[in-house]
Amino acid sequence: MLLRTSLRYLLRHPWLLVLSLVGVALGVAVVVAIDVANASATRAFTRSAEVVAGRATHAVVGAGGTVEGSLYQRLRFAGVRESAPVAEGYATARGRVLNVLGLDPLADAPFRSLAGEGAGVDLGLFLATPGAAFLAPSAAARLALAPGDTLGLAVEGTRRTVRIGALLAPGEAGQDDALANLVVLDVAEAQAVLGLGSRLTRIDLALPEGEAGARRRAEIERLLPPGARIERSATRTESLETMTRAFRLNLTALSFLALVVGMFLVYNTTTFAVVQRRFLLGRLRALGVTRREVFGLVLGEAALVGAVGTAFGLALGVILGRGLVALVAGTISDLYFSVTVASVAITPWMLFKGAALGLGTTLAAAFAPAREAAGADVSAVLRRSETEARAGRRLPVLALAGVALLAAGAGVLAWPRLPLALAYGALLVVMLGFSLVVPAAVAGFARAVRPVASRAFGPLGRMAAGGLQAHLGRISVAVAALVVAIAATIGVGVMVASFRSTVVAWLEGALVADVFVQPPSLVARRGEASLRPDVVEALLRAPGVTSGYSIRALTTTSQFGRTDLIAASGGAAQERTFKIKEGRAADVWPRLRAGEAVFVSEPFAYRHGVGIGDTVRLGTERGVRPFPIAAVYYDYGSDMGLVLMHRSAFERLYSDRGTSGLALFAAPGVDPDALAERLRARVADRQAVIVRSNRGLREFSLGIFDRTFAITGVLRLLALLVAFVGVVSAFMALQLERAREYATLRAMGLTPREVYGLVSIQTGLMGLVAGLLSLPLGLALAAVLIFVINRRSFGWTLQATVPPETLVTAVVLAVVAALLAGLYPAWKMAHARPAEALRDE
Amino acid sequence: MRLIAALAVTLALLAGLAAWLVRPDAPRSNALSLAAALAADTSGFARATAPRPFRFPDDHGPHPDFRTEWWYYTGNLDGPAGQAFGYELTIFRIALTPPGSPDADTADADTAGADTANWRTRQMYMAHFGLTDAKRGTFRAFERFSRGAAGLAGAQGAPFRVWLEGWEASEAAGGMPAMRLRANEGGYGIDLTLRPEKPVVLQGDRGLSQKGPGVGNASYYYSYTRIVTEGTVTTPSGRVPVRGSSWMDREWSTSALGRDQVGWDWFALQLSDGRELMVYQLREKDGRPSRYSSGTLVERDGRTRPLPGFTLTPTATWTSPHSGAEYPSAWTLDVPSENLQLRVEPVLNDQELNVSVRYWEGAVRVAGARGLTGRGYVELTGYGDIETETRGTRSAR
Repeated sequence: MLLRTSLRYLLRHPWLLVLSLVGVALGVAVVVAIDVANASATRAFTRSAEVVAGRATHAVVGAGGTVEGSLYQRLRFAGVRESAPVAEGYATARGRVLNVLGLDPLADAPFRSLAGEGAGVDLGLFLATPGAAFLAPSAAARLALAPGDTLGLAVEGTRRTVRIGALLAPGEAGQDDALANLVVLDVAEAQAVLGLGSRLTRIDLALPEGEAGARRRAEIERLLPPGARIERSATRTESLETMTRAFRLNLTALSFLALVVGMFLVYNTTTFAVVQRRFLLGRLRALGVTRREVFGLVLGEAALVGAVGTAFGLALGVILGRGLVALVAGTISDLYFSVTVASVAITPWMLFKGAALGLGTTLAAAFAPAREAAGADVSAVLRRSETEARAGRRLPVLALAGVALLAAGAGVLAWPRLPLALAYGALLVVMLGFSLVVPAAVAGFARAVRPVASRAFGPLGRMAAGGLQAHLGRISVAVAALVVAIAATIGVGVMVASFRSTVVAWLEGALVADVFVQPPSLVARRGEASLRPDVVEALLRAPGVTSGYSIRALTTTSQFGRTDLIAASGGAAQERTFKIKEGRAADVWPRLRAGEAVFVSEPFAYRHGVGIGDTVRLGTERGVRPFPIAAVYYDYGSDMGLVLMHRSAFERLYSDRGTSGLALFAAPGVDPDALAERLRARVADRQAVIVRSNRGLREFSLGIFDRTFAITGVLRLLALLVAFVGVVSAFMALQLERAREYATLRAMGLTPREVYGLVSIQTGLMGLVAGLLSLPLGLALAAVLIFVINRRSFGWTLQATVPPETLVTAVVLAVVAALLAGLYPAWKMAHARPAEALRDE
Repeated sequence: MRLIAALAVTLALLAGLAAWLVRPDAPRSNALSLAAALAADTSGFARATAPRPFRFPDDHGPHPDFRTEWWYYTGNLDGPAGQAFGYELTIFRIALTPPGSPDADTADADTAGADTANWRTRQMYMAHFGLTDAKRGTFRAFERFSRGAAGLAGAQGAPFRVWLEGWEASEAAGGMPAMRLRANEGGYGIDLTLRPEKPVVLQGDRGLSQKGPGVGNASYYYSYTRIVTEGTVTTPSGRVPVRGSSWMDREWSTSALGRDQVGWDWFALQLSDGRELMVYQLREKDGRPSRYSSGTLVERDGRTRPLPGFTLTPTATWTSPHSGAEYPSAWTLDVPSENLQLRVEPVLNDQELNVSVRYWEGAVRVAGARGLTGRGYVELTGYGDIETETRGTRSAR
């Protein structure tokens, strides 16, 4: 019987039902979508790392990213037979990034089933056919290639054509997906393609477990030259995960924001459903239905809405997730390492999490209204004004609780070195606290706005403002929900704008040269590709170029694990490009030039908790060398952090002589854009380098920046959408609830036109108050994101910038949505026959 | 003679290699494709069609235009406390593609894989090392593969050196034909100096050894049949100084094994009267000896003479506990033209090599009339599952 009551109610209010469902569905969808996108990207890079590592337990790696090929011979001759050479890298072909894996089919069988006979390929074809390349069927399908076809592999601007020799038939079928981006070659061919000469990227090892493994490892270590070391194979996968952890966590947290907004919407609609049926519920209680049963009824309805909304949300989330995967993978590829997602990972666990979150938040949101419905006296429930009266009494208490929560949240956020998850938790507390203060703020607003509205709109204005006060309890719940939703979009918007303006200012200082030259690099923010020495020479001597400086980026190790090292050739012009945060430039540059110290970037210092006076122990080809940190400098290019070293010191410690980037100064009167064009043409036949003018590089850098925040922008838009739906649903519900009131007014002579006016003024006022209240919360959220979350995640100091348009947009959105929300109820009430509306109750 | 035998061994081994390479989980049908491909196509490779002059030391080095080539060392060694060891060290070179194909930019590492800076090659090397300890009754065998590049494996004539990682045969102090052999694995090792007592023996017709019907189905084949050997043998119980006598076979060719041959029994015997006897008998499908079976007798002074005929009669069998294959384990060898009647027995029954393809290669003792004794090495293939593997190679589905 009770269930039928519920169903009938829900079906008789389809708009309410639909908007609740949309709220839940969108919230769940965003969470699931981000989960899907994150998991797909993570699985893509961990799986491809696993496939490439195979059964290797360890690998010999070099200080500068490669090892001398003869080291393999040394190991084999010394009886280290559980080893295999690997030459690995990335190439672009047909607009895709491919993982190039060079293996020796005669040594590789214990490690992988990807080479030669182990993959069903004739040994002569694999090992002894120059230019032969091999693809898994999945890769062949993706690239539309068949055996016999040629494929141009571009690496660092140098192109080499290979011919597909055969398709691989790797044993375990499950690997196939992970192989979709893999080109397997003989190790010698891979060396040629990757420009490695006779060097290897690593030597894989298979060591036994436990004591025996440790002994064997020590034996092998004694055979290694300084700089080379043994690393666990899993380290690679782990470091990929570590590199992207903060990025992925932030996305997840942002997705939860959408769910929180959705939760407020459910709370709002459930409250509305309770308030609107107070007479029905009262009668039920009078008929002997117990409190428990009423409680169950309300909660049951919420569960139903939650279940259906969650089901829609899961489906929508999966679809949305497919779209977001490319954005997430693109951002990871720009920032960290190249990753291509071949398939979307959707696991039952993900869907279960999404479902649990959706249902859980719906029930949690409905709990308070359900208790209220169950807890009220029979007579009180029957009295219309009861809720409002109680709301009025509770205002100060709520406000006080809100202030207490705000203080608690702020206190937690002030704690230095706060774990990221806790920071987000505190953020949630701040939002909750603020939403408790909202009713008091709305009451204040209503009082303040009444004379203004009265002056502006006459009696209608006064009535509208009075309505705000009269229905304070209901209105403030809706407004609080909207404030949270809109504030979230403000917070994220202001954070991104601040970040961007900080990067713009930093680029201003960092890009002092006129023309910049780089080899094509797969990961936009990292530069380990090399310019050919003859190209560097030709560019420095080109007419129109007066001088230049170079930079080298290399990945090595330190006591902090994988460490990105930058070697700068120095000179006053280059030194000006580094903005020192800690340390006196006049003192620290000579120390760097002398090779006795290094600088670290701000994220490095933050990430590892080091500063001036601390020591970085760098793995070099001459063994581990300690370097004191002389200065910390600003850098917004790498969230992993950088160690800056002088080129002279670098060359003493590493055999690498590559150039990752070249900055050139134009002669007076030479147009940088024209010079860039000439320089590109000058070396085009040798290497397809990327030459950009100062302006071009700035635009390019900001382009990357915008790309990396594209997903944040999408999430912000989604949150805006949820907020919009929220405004519409909440305000529509409020107005419909008051049908009887309007009917009375109509009976008293209010024209339909005046009804439109009254409803519009009232919803407009509600939208305005929601928009205005979202500003302080939005700015507070922005401050937390900028000064706490970003710092905790990446270590960046950002200069806060508040773009007025973000704030204006928020308020306008709230008002427009509110006005739109008023249209249907106004139409309905204007056209309803007053007598019927009055009879309705 | 060893040509056919060794070639067939090579093919069988390649099939086995393929099987080994796909371990642990790939289907076996893939495994046979390499051997099948190798067996099928000989185009582009040099062939042994007519006798040629041999030039040393160059011919000790590799002949990369031929598809297969090997350096085969076996010997019996004695320790100071009555230990008796047998050893086999064989290095195979296998050209995976014909010379000059397909791109000219292959730095042709044919002659030597010594250049550590060059990883490119079309040559593959494979090696077997076996050590028999007759006194303890133990036998161990090991196997290796490598590309013929990057300093990992290779061969060169002057100075002579052929190696696969740490296993190698090289020119000893004093120059060729004195050689040094070194191999080590799993606690077993040899380090031996070899000084041939007799000149090179050219097998077959001036070194051209016909192994089947048709021009080119032959190999170039020479041997050192008696080599004074001294050095050390290492086992897990220690290093022992040894002296003894070795035998070296060198062969290169581009021929496929005859279709009707299932295996062979090959004997290299050094007799106490200063002569050596090499005989091999190819076994055909129907169990009869092939007409391409043959033998050579080497006189004390190094002169050689082909044997017009011989009879090989197994007198005992041994069943391998490892593979279940049944091998002959004693023979009488009757050579009427030389009035020789020899009894041949392994020093140890279990000298089966469980490498990529299973075969038996072991030290033997010889006894004849009037106090004639001898020692040597015997190779047995095509017993047990070898037959199915070699046949399967060519009839691969």
